[in-house]
Amino acid sequence: MTTLTKHPDPELSATGRSRKSRKSQKRGKPGAGFRGIGDLKIALLFIFPAMIGFVLFYLVPTIRGIYLSFTEYSILGDPEWIGVKNYQQIAKDPLFWNALGVTSEYVVINIVLQTVLALGLAILMHRVAKSTLIRGALLLPYLMANVIAALLWFWMLDYQIGIVNQFIEWVGLPRVAFFGSEQWAIPTQALINTWRHMGYTALLLFAGLQAIPNTVYEAASIDGSKAVSTFWRITLPLLRPVLALVLVVTVIGSFQVFDTVAVTTQGGPINATRVLQYYIYQRAFNEQDFGYGSALAVILFLILAIVAFIQMKFLRGNQSDLD
Amino acid sequence: MKKKVLGAVAAAAVATLALTACGSGGGSSADSAKGEISYWLWDSNQLPAYQQCADDFHKANPDITVKITQTGWDDYWGKITNGMASGTAPDVFTDHLSKFPDFIKTKQLVPLDDAVSTDKVDLTQYNDGLANLWVGQDGKRYGLPKDWDTVGLFYNKKMAADAGLSPAQMASLSWNPQDGGSYEKAIAHLTVDKNGKRGDEAGFDKNNVAVFGLGLPGSDAENAGQTQWSFLSATTGWSATDKTPWGSHFNYDDKRVQDTIAWWASLAQKGYMPKLETTVGANAPDAFGAGKAAINANGDWMIGQYKGYKGIDLGIAPTPTGVDGKNASMFNGLADSIWAGTKKKDASIKWVEYLGSSACQDVVASKAVVFPAIKTSTDKAAAAFAAKGIDVSAFTEHVKDKSTFLLPITDNAAKVAGIMKPAMDAVIAGKSPASSLTDANNQVNALFSK
Amino acid sequence: MTTISSPKAGARRRPFNWRRTSAWVLLALAIAVSVLPFYWVLRTAFSTNGSLAANSASILPADFNLGAFKRVFGLQTASEAIAEGGSGASINFFQYLLNSLLFSSITTAGAVFFSSMAAYAFARLRWKGRDGVFTLFLGTMLVPPIFTALPNFLLVKNLGLLNSMLGLVLPYLFMTPFAIFFMRQFFLNMSREVEEAAMLDGAKHWRIFFQIVMPNAAAPIATLALLTFMGQWNEYFWPLLVGTSEESRVLTVGLGVFKSQSPQGAPDWSGLMAATLISALPVLILFSIFGKKIVNSIGFSGTK
Repeated sequence: MTTLTKHPDPELSATGRSRKSRKSQKRGKPGAGFRGIGDLKIALLFIFPAMIGFVLFYLVPTIRGIYLSFTEYSILGDPEWIGVKNYQQIAKDPLFWNALGVTSEYVVINIVLQTVLALGLAILMHRVAKSTLIRGALLLPYLMANVIAALLWFWMLDYQIGIVNQFIEWVGLPRVAFFGSEQWAIPTQALINTWRHMGYTALLLFAGLQAIPNTVYEAASIDGSKAVSTFWRITLPLLRPVLALVLVVTVIGSFQVFDTVAVTTQGGPINATRVLQYYIYQRAFNEQDFGYGSALAVILFLILAIVAFIQMKFLRGNQSDLD
Repeated sequence: MKKKVLGAVAAAAVATLALTACGSGGGSSADSAKGEISYWLWDSNQLPAYQQCADDFHKANPDITVKITQTGWDDYWGKITNGMASGTAPDVFTDHLSKFPDFIKTKQLVPLDDAVSTDKVDLTQYNDGLANLWVGQDGKRYGLPKDWDTVGLFYNKKMAADAGLSPAQMASLSWNPQDGGSYEKAIAHLTVDKNGKRGDEAGFDKNNVAVFGLGLPGSDAENAGQTQWSFLSATTGWSATDKTPWGSHFNYDDKRVQDTIAWWASLAQKGYMPKLETTVGANAPDAFGAGKAAINANGDWMIGQYKGYKGIDLGIAPTPTGVDGKNASMFNGLADSIWAGTKKKDASIKWVEYLGSSACQDVVASKAVVFPAIKTSTDKAAAAFAAKGIDVSAFTEHVKDKSTFLLPITDNAAKVAGIMKPAMDAVIAGKSPASSLTDANNQVNALFSK
Repeated sequence: MTTISSPKAGARRRPFNWRRTSAWVLLALAIAVSVLPFYWVLRTAFSTNGSLAANSASILPADFNLGAFKRVFGLQTASEAIAEGGSGASINFFQYLLNSLLFSSITTAGAVFFSSMAAYAFARLRWKGRDGVFTLFLGTMLVPPIFTALPNFLLVKNLGLLNSMLGLVLPYLFMTPFAIFFMRQFFLNMSREVEEAAMLDGAKHWRIFFQIVMPNAAAPIATLALLTFMGQWNEYFWPLLVGTSEESRVLTVGLGVFKSQSPQGAPDWSGLMAATLISALPVLILFSIFGKKIVNSIGFSGTK
């Protein structure tokens, strides 16, 4: 998810010079393959620990998770194969569809708010302030754990004695039950997340802005382009790869909202914040239904894969107009 | 090539995994009557009493030390289940009627029958019915009762007096699901809006209420309305399950309970009770303590909390009489159970028996925090409360009059709560009619039909 | 404001531009929104819990008092705590602090070290299947943590490591896909000359890696370690599942528990805010020391 700026061609540097067999120094198609085993033995040693981690904690769990999704399993018993029954139940589980709905609502509010605000901030920083201090201040919320951000706002947005409601009342508006009312619960969760991530996302975009060569702007200003149209015609298209990456990452992250919900509303009021991951947690750990929880997790996984795929296609994130 | 390497590594990893997995796991050594045993409870108010029990116990049994850990209710059960799975659960823990069926099902508790017969524990010393609650469907005993609780009305005496309600009137309220009876009248009259208008007066502004007649602690679907509405619905002849204990069919589709809930929810719409959405993160007893509510229905384990609020003249009244002309209360009790994975079974049994004896329960009684399960200790607790100036007859009379009913004891308690809580919240919040509970009830009963 | 003001900004700069002014106002607003809540945490933490409701809008602490901090560190007796609106429950904050430190340091050390090794193999060594394996590793970034969390929980349970520090750190210990990606990127850009020279001297890969490559990578490793540490410090979901015992519970989880400690769940706000402050402190200290490094590393290395 990284290296927005520097992206040398790995093949070139890797194949460019071979050490063991200088004879085989060929430059053909990148990745055309190596002759012999190359550094395989030593490479295996180098990746061995990482391989253990990969196999034990990513590969095997993925397979096991898929297997469990076809079983009925409580943590204190043994899994029992029940075929696709979990999936059939999910299809007609109103709480699943509700979870999908509220999660999507969260994602949309979160992404729109966060991206617009962050983009605005990035441009402001780019134009008027490049100070590390300012960037540090904006980054401060991101350094807090989700749990801390959630508790902090749970307190500030408290219906009875929270400072925000004191302010709202002072202005002359009626108090808002931020966490208690069904309409507000999800937007509130999204606001908390936006608060935490806004500065960070802005910094990412800021870095992207800095990577745009000045010559492009100079050319535009010679053409007499106005600031607004420069933004739409030049800045945004050139920022697209960065923006695409940021969007993919935030969307995928948002679909997995859990921490803030778990320490504040815990799915409520009614089902307003019973987001997917919280619902999975509830089924698997509170109600000891690991099979059902795993099936839900498989579906979340599929959703994320599809969303990421569509986004990458749609935003053509791997290409820049700069090239 | 790549696949082969990967496959080999994976296979090796899985093999080691399987080996270690086999290597771990149980194998308890000899059941020792010595050493340190762990004991968990969730109510911090009771911690001092049980700490003293533990100290006394250690004096009598110098070989055994009891280490007490207190964990809040929300966290308690997750920790226990997780501990059972990982082999780190406490040797002995405070058990709840809504939770122990699942533990029996997964064989996590030690049956106490042998110990009870060898050590001649007198089961008749406990208040009637308490001891039998802890017998599973398999006929075995999984806990020794430690305390019991009933529900009553905590009210603000000064507010009642201002409203012209005498303690005698408060103690003889009546209720019906149609118009709420004198219970609703009292609640309405005790409700005051920002302009000082009472809830039953013309011009009452239900959107700007200063003092609510009745506090709302949440819908509490988890414990079948224990402190909120169960004492009302019970007077209609309704019962949560087909039989108690060990029911396998819930009755939330019954008109009697739906009418009760509908009436209760209507209080929020009328402005006599806070709206559910305003209670997130807030707490009903604290609102009472801050003078924002006049009546709170709650359990006797909260006496200390209510009594502790400064500047509040606390009154306690029995639950209102209902449709059948009597008043009622849910009767719940806690017990101490032993985890099946304990390595110190004998010591644990000794401790549980001590907890269930009058030696410990008299200590608990003297702290005046809850009512111990043993009859004579109950009387001592009542006396201890009286010495603090608290009249607890509103709670004890239910036991004397046998006007109690039980918490539903069933399997699948966590799943039932998972379904009922949102459904009940929706009704209380006024988003769905009480008849929507029928749907939830069908889902709940489907759990038992498998 | 200082860093190399680029010529293009100067070119477009006009004095007393209302746009500029409004830009600054907006920026100031954003900074206020980002920073002011922390003042409120401070203010609440130094307040007396019982006085919060009556002084909910006061800018200064309501009834200045250190009770909340004492409560958090278990320096108050239960009855004192209850009198001040706490739960009287004992929360073992020192232990949680230590657990958090252990968890974050061990996982950071392990992940950074092992990932660097793997990254070296992916960037500098030639072997068949390299790019395929790397893609596979990278693909794990797309796997949602909850998906692997359920089976990993079972694995840790089967290993008998539930509620232990080892069980807590294991999944992060050997690698994180991000760390591999980050280090590989650095190694790809690193100059080869020194390495080649050593190679000609007959040095083995091990020696080259430990004596030449790693010291040269000190800066990115430090950045990666910082980012990883902060990420781990804030981790919640996995520790929530696996670490429920006192020996394995970390601060974030402890905070959630603290919130629901009092009877019937009324938060002890001042205690909670004091606990929040203490939990955030280590990261704040790191940030105040390495702030520049962290800020500048974002963009080059953004994740999540």
